[in-house]
Amino acid sequence: MSLVNLAHVCSHMQNASKARLGLTSIPVSKLHVNLMLGLQREGFISTVTLGGATPPKPFLLQAQPDPEQLEKMAARLKEEPWNAYPVEGHAPLGKELVQEVHVPENPARRRLWLGLKYWNNEPVLKNMKLISKPTRRIWLTSEDLGKITRTRESSYVKGLTHPGECMFMTTDRGILEARDCVERRIGGMALCRVW
Amino acid sequence: MSVCRPARCLFLRTTCNALPKPTPPKRTFHSTAPRPARRRRPHYPSIKAEDLQLLNQAAETTFPKYDTSETSLASKKYTPAQIAAIKAAEAVIDPRDLYTQGQERTDPWLLPYKDDLTRVDPVTDHAEKRSADDLASYMRGDRLYTPRKEFRKANEVERDEAIARIATENLSKLYPSGIPEGGMDKKQQAQFEEAIEAAMTQAALDPRVTYWSKDPKVSEVLADPRHSAFLPDLPRIENRMARMTRRLSTEEEEDPRQKRLLQYLDWDKTDLRNLRIKTLVTHGVTNQTRMGKIRSLYYLTIAGNGNGLLGVGEGKSVEPEEGRKQSVMAAIRNMRPIPRYENRTTFGDLERKVGATKVRLYSRPPGFGLRVQHLIFELARAAGLQDLSARTPRSRNKMNVIKATWEALCNQKLPDEVARARGKKMVDVRKVYYGGSVH
Repeated sequence: MSLVNLAHVCSHMQNASKARLGLTSIPVSKLHVNLMLGLQREGFISTVTLGGATPPKPFLLQAQPDPEQLEKMAARLKEEPWNAYPVEGHAPLGKELVQEVHVPENPARRRLWLGLKYWNNEPVLKNMKLISKPTRRIWLTSEDLGKITRTRESSYVKGLTHPGECMFMTTDRGILEARDCVERRIGGMALCRVW
Repeated sequence: MSVCRPARCLFLRTTCNALPKPTPPKRTFHSTAPRPARRRRPHYPSIKAEDLQLLNQAAETTFPKYDTSETSLASKKYTPAQIAAIKAAEAVIDPRDLYTQGQERTDPWLLPYKDDLTRVDPVTDHAEKRSADDLASYMRGDRLYTPRKEFRKANEVERDEAIARIATENLSKLYPSGIPEGGMDKKQQAQFEEAIEAAMTQAALDPRVTYWSKDPKVSEVLADPRHSAFLPDLPRIENRMARMTRRLSTEEEEDPRQKRLLQYLDWDKTDLRNLRIKTLVTHGVTNQTRMGKIRSLYYLTIAGNGNGLLGVGEGKSVEPEEGRKQSVMAAIRNMRPIPRYENRTTFGDLERKVGATKVRLYSRPPGFGLRVQHLIFELARAAGLQDLSARTPRSRNKMNVIKATWEALCNQKLPDEVARARGKKMVDVRKVYYGGSVH
């Protein structure tokens, strides 16, 4: 598990958001996928889609249910709101529209497509930096993380002092945000900080 | 596990005997006596009963229950459903909680009410003025009541009679226990005469004197101060301080630039007095022309109100005073709001680069002070920041340091914005921990 690729991803994300791209792709690995899902959970990116060399169809170009059907659905839901939580194998509101994305057979040709977010003419994800380096891994205990999330420096890692700054850790429970790690009292290897 | 067990639990009441007792240790494995466990502090401070009583009393006095007169007034104003809603809402909130935790919002995201109804505004909170149309009919109880006969202008006899009556009424208000009989010293005599004069003047101005009506109700309506042409106007403050500071507009010389600035800001001259203005950089500059060098002076001035507004202005002129004035006006005109965390420090760490100058600002805990270099100190003081530290790791050009600091302070990323951008809820933990009692 080299961190070189992660370093490339970090700088690529910064460059993409500086260029105001709406969609960008990164190479696929389990680490990248889990980290990107973590970023999505924290609200830094909007979509994470596995695809090939060509980007997946954007949402506005996807097939949409026609407005009449939507109205019917709304009326039905108003009458019987429990249908919003369908039971397995029973679709009272009609079939769900699922967007098919072509994923190449060859894993080397697969790419992970990310939707970037912007707010008030500013990218939501502006900075993404590695903490552990390929030549120097940094392992943090939950006590260290407690200090770091409270903006104090610990184990040569600077505190999270920017408003809304997040740090991602790889632990034996998967890739987690630093505050989650503190809550669950687990330590791990620091991957990157995002703000 | 037997099936009967839950049933037994249901049917049998657990008594103290049924509960398992912790068995005392049979044998000690240590030769020394075990250290007694440290006394555990309770999680919540225990409050004495009398303190609680005091708190109850304080809450009761600050937020008293409605008495019958107030409820009857409310029942006139609101529908029963509204009153029920008000009562339910009042019942939900404990006055003790309101007393200990209640506070007025001051954050920039508070709801934009026109008026919080906490103080009387002499302009808007007048009793509404009535016109003669309102005299024709008025409400009595629930139904509209039309007086039997309308009013007319009083003749002289009626007028004198009315003046006498109303003057007596007014005088009796001034002397509710009657006029002191017999011995009145000179001072009291003078006071009494003054009172008579005031009563007579008031009576002469009363509309009941000018108009006469058979119906006593009509004259009652006439006595209503809302019909008076002399409805109390804006209070005019009369004291020595006010007289000394009040000046005619002709007395002061008008600076046209300042006048324009005030118009632009929609400010009063008194507002300018509360600003902190300081010229931080001055140096001579020369313009080389074919005629020779033209020397002029450059000024950089900061202006702030010490409460979250900060501006930086530049000015340049051959005349020193002119250049300085230019920079001051520019600084005031450029004032921008500086978001401050708890009105004392910045939201997180900031960094800004202008030219070769980089400025890093770090937010610091309460009581830390302004441990920064002198230029940043002046800016922070003018903006009203109290806890800050800073680094200028690269060039320390004075002009660029000031500009970089100002830009960094103006372009802060606020937690609210971050929360909106990410679609996540963010909570100020410090505020929650201290129960909102931080600024």
